[in-house]
Amino acid sequence: MNKLSQEKEELLLRYLDSELDKDERHQLETELQTSEVLQNRLDELKAVNLFLLQKASLESPSKNFTQKVMSGLDAKLTSSFSPRQGLLLLLGTIVASGIALALLSAGVFDAPTVPLVVDAPLKNNWFNFPSFSIPFNGKILINGILILNLGLALILLDRTILKPIFQKRVSAGL
Amino acid sequence: MITPQEEYSLIDKILAGDRQQYSILVDGYKSYAFTIAFKILGNRPEAEEAAQDAFIKAFQYLKNFNRQAKFSTWLYRIVFNTAISYKRKSKQTFQSIENTIIEYSDRADKQMERDDKQLYVGKAMDSLNEADRLAIQLFYIKEFSMEEVAETMGQTMNTLKVRIHRARLRLADELKKILKEEALTL
Repeated sequence: MNKLSQEKEELLLRYLDSELDKDERHQLETELQTSEVLQNRLDELKAVNLFLLQKASLESPSKNFTQKVMSGLDAKLTSSFSPRQGLLLLLGTIVASGIALALLSAGVFDAPTVPLVVDAPLKNNWFNFPSFSIPFNGKILINGILILNLGLALILLDRTILKPIFQKRVSAGL
Repeated sequence: MITPQEEYSLIDKILAGDRQQYSILVDGYKSYAFTIAFKILGNRPEAEEAAQDAFIKAFQYLKNFNRQAKFSTWLYRIVFNTAISYKRKSKQTFQSIENTIIEYSDRADKQMERDDKQLYVGKAMDSLNEADRLAIQLFYIKEFSMEEVAETMGQTMNTLKVRIHRARLRLADELKKILKEEALTL
């Protein structure tokens, strides 16, 4: 099977792109008249070229494209808070968590479980419900709040600092 | 077409708070942005959404635009990245737009043969990898310069040239293979 060399194929591509000088073009055209393999390959490349040229045109988006972009700008502006607001909120969350941690380590919530006494509201001649109590441990509650705060702080860190940084990098093409 | 100086002046106005001026930039580049997104996604509604999203991102990061580069190139890069991330999200198989149905009508045999060849090249496009296919599609659009295509795709000129040459030769190989198979089935 007659396979063309890479140089010959490159030459054919340059011929199609009109990049050959006069001598190179003349030499190739002479060769094309005698080599069927070369001529066939040129025909194949011409078909590819023609196809790609026919498909090569700019596409048009919908008529209200610009309008949609402009209203998108407004939507983005109203739906997100500013980085400054986000940072302040993040700072507030960290401070609140810090205070809660300090109180916890100071032993403020170390008191034994305090029962929450609930008096039966319907105590009369017909109904006689006994009063009951629910055990309440302040330490568990504070731990729960701390975990929630931590989660909130992580979300804020992502939204206000990390996400904008990565988006900026993507937009800058890094 | 907007000149670079006009673009910089528009950008200054937008950054000063006149957001409505951004619509001029959108109008000027929407076809280019949409074409890039369309070539990547191969789906008009999704391409439109990606292109719009890219314009919104470009607006948000406009103050970071380095004026040593062309606005168009910077924008195309954002469109390219946005469309690629849309593509990853949707995980759809890349449907080449070249696979659109070619309508047949009464024609001479010669014309028919040529059109058949075109249909086969369309089939052959599927054999290319996505980067090669995108490179070759954008390269043939005369409105995009080779430098713009290279920068949009984040590649050097040499890499792009190699990609395009390789893709054309591969397409020709595939075309030959398909024609041979077709001849055998006759």
